[in-house]
Amino acid sequence: MSNIAGKAYAMNVITPIRWYTTWTNKLFFKAATLLPSTLKGLQTLSLIHYARWVIIPRDGFPHLDSSQPKEDLHYAYMLFFSNFNGSWDQYVDSFTFAIPSGLDLFWKWNIRYPKSVPLTPFHNYIRHNQIDTAHYYNAYPMAASNDVKSAQKIKKALIRFNTESSDKSPEDFLQDYYRLLNDLQHHFGDMKPTPIVSLSSYEVKKRYEQTRF
Amino acid sequence: MTKDLDLTDIQGNIIKAYGAYNYQKARYLFLRINNGDKGRKFVAAITTKVTTAISWNKSGASPAVEKPMATTNIAFTYVGLKALELPTASLRGFPEDFMMGMAKRKDILGDDGPSAPENWDNIWKERVHIWMSINAQNMEALIERYNWVVEQVEASGGGVTLLTGHRGDAGEDDLPYQEASVLYDEAGNSTPKEHFGYTDGIGDPVFEGQTNIAARVLGRGKLMRDGSWAPLATGEFLLGHVDEAMEYPKTAPSPTLLARNGTYMVYRKLHENVGTFNRFLDEQSKSFPGSKEMLAAKFAGRWRDNGAPIVKAPDDASKAEWDKAFEAADFAEKKRMLTDFTYNDDIHGAKCPYSAHLRRINPRGSLEYGVTNAYETPGALDDRRRILRRGLPYGSVKDATRDDGNHGIIFMALNVDIQRQFEFIQQQWINYANDFKEGNDKEVLLGNHDASHPGKVVLQVEPGSGKPPHFVNNIPRLVETRGGDYFFIPSITALKLIAAGMVDPT
Repeated sequence: MSNIAGKAYAMNVITPIRWYTTWTNKLFFKAATLLPSTLKGLQTLSLIHYARWVIIPRDGFPHLDSSQPKEDLHYAYMLFFSNFNGSWDQYVDSFTFAIPSGLDLFWKWNIRYPKSVPLTPFHNYIRHNQIDTAHYYNAYPMAASNDVKSAQKIKKALIRFNTESSDKSPEDFLQDYYRLLNDLQHHFGDMKPTPIVSLSSYEVKKRYEQTRF
Repeated sequence: MTKDLDLTDIQGNIIKAYGAYNYQKARYLFLRINNGDKGRKFVAAITTKVTTAISWNKSGASPAVEKPMATTNIAFTYVGLKALELPTASLRGFPEDFMMGMAKRKDILGDDGPSAPENWDNIWKERVHIWMSINAQNMEALIERYNWVVEQVEASGGGVTLLTGHRGDAGEDDLPYQEASVLYDEAGNSTPKEHFGYTDGIGDPVFEGQTNIAARVLGRGKLMRDGSWAPLATGEFLLGHVDEAMEYPKTAPSPTLLARNGTYMVYRKLHENVGTFNRFLDEQSKSFPGSKEMLAAKFAGRWRDNGAPIVKAPDDASKAEWDKAFEAADFAEKKRMLTDFTYNDDIHGAKCPYSAHLRRINPRGSLEYGVTNAYETPGALDDRRRILRRGLPYGSVKDATRDDGNHGIIFMALNVDIQRQFEFIQQQWINYANDFKEGNDKEVLLGNHDASHPGKVVLQVEPGSGKPPHFVNNIPRLVETRGGDYFFIPSITALKLIAAGMVDPT
């Protein structure tokens, strides 16, 4: 069991929220989706693969079988799910430095939410409510989300370049090639196994290497 | 700012980069404590001569404090504090990184291959408990103070041992001290250079409680939304003060008296492969569309000769203009020209590449990538990753074509949270570049480039110009770690408590 797969970390946080205030959260979520500018901090933080907030009503948890006892919940719950590159500390820190007011807006109505600044109560709140990942499948464990985005961009551009430039004169071809390099100049980063996410990730890395060889 | 620091309680090396105060010579000593009681007596004796951060010879100050010919400072490893028999309740309050020490953090720091602990100077095979520094205005003062320390070691009756195992200029590997010195030009004048020829030591962070902030904060504090600069919170650099997250640093041990006005220091001896660097620069500049000096400036973010920021002087022609203005400027304006800049007009790195040392260690708001109002402030991702940099070059280059001489930098980083500040910069920004959208492309000068898979970086050009970016390939390892550890620099109050065996976490 680990929250870590290669360079990535999967985080689940589930926090109680008074069922009769969930509508305000849903309103914020709606507003944030409609007004993309509110999420630009989140999008600019390129270590984040994605982050998702979901409200689970108090009668909304799965009831798979009649033999499963019915729970009687006092609260609705907010599920926060995110995959990111880097360690837990690095991620939570970057989050609070960069978008503290955004975090406060989303978690504001959650029970005992301490606000994102100062940092330690927020750290404690997230860690206390975090459900550790039991199984984490990651298709590209050694790729950061930027690597995947860059690879896609380069692939698309190369295919296009190949079609458009194959019949050109050497001079024009060179000019096109230079232009291609210019367009892609922020996407040529190498991809290697480092850095390690935490010293406890050795075992995970070992298992990964066993699957490779 | 109204905050006043208790300068008589703070060790001087935290506030002052002694090299900038004409202390041209230094020795760094490492000691082992053999006996707690005698060790504490030794600490008490040294404490009488520890240099504080008090301002020297300030006009009107009473009593006037003379600038000493030599300074002395002291710090401890975790095992050192244990050997001094600090209470367990105090010891367990120290952070994990400090408890582990630098060698055990090698996988985070990228100290592998030639930088791996098994290749460090012999001194690091010893159990290092105490770090001491002597900085002096001349050799006589240095030796005098050094001899005084040796006397204290002898007087400890075996309580402490001065450890040997430093490499020296004449090929020694068993010296009892690490010598360091500013470098001199041909006329014998001191320079702010290091062995690769770069001008070093410009633009340390400025934080609340320092003096003359208004003049110094430009380009050195934190970048605010309106484009102004504000001093960083004191608690980024001194324990017991509020930090940028509006709390007291949680890396502080108990009790407060032990932690307050102290900080953590990362000591690293960095060997510079001068021959490899010179060959690499020559080779690379053959294909670079610009001068060799411009390429060297692209690596660092500053021009080698005078430290001109490349973002303000992006090519040879604009550098000549910048030099003219610099020559004509007065002292204060010169300082401003060296530090007061951002990358706001260089979002794409066409002037200062994303891989440049300067941009990597302090992005100055550029991690917003021009997306206005993305973060709380433009520098939100930078402000908690700043370090005070101290240190001096060591050794001399006798043959500029070789790597195996005795030459490098004694580098010291001061911060309250080694993991969040120094280690983050080293791991995420020097040896990795996801935050800069450059994948695993390491910083050219300090990156732990791998001989079997040499690194590369992309020097960006103006987007839409149709010009190709310049690729710097086959980057060898230019700097190698030769040793180091993590130390706690206590306040004067804490030194006295430690020496008296009176640390009380209740």
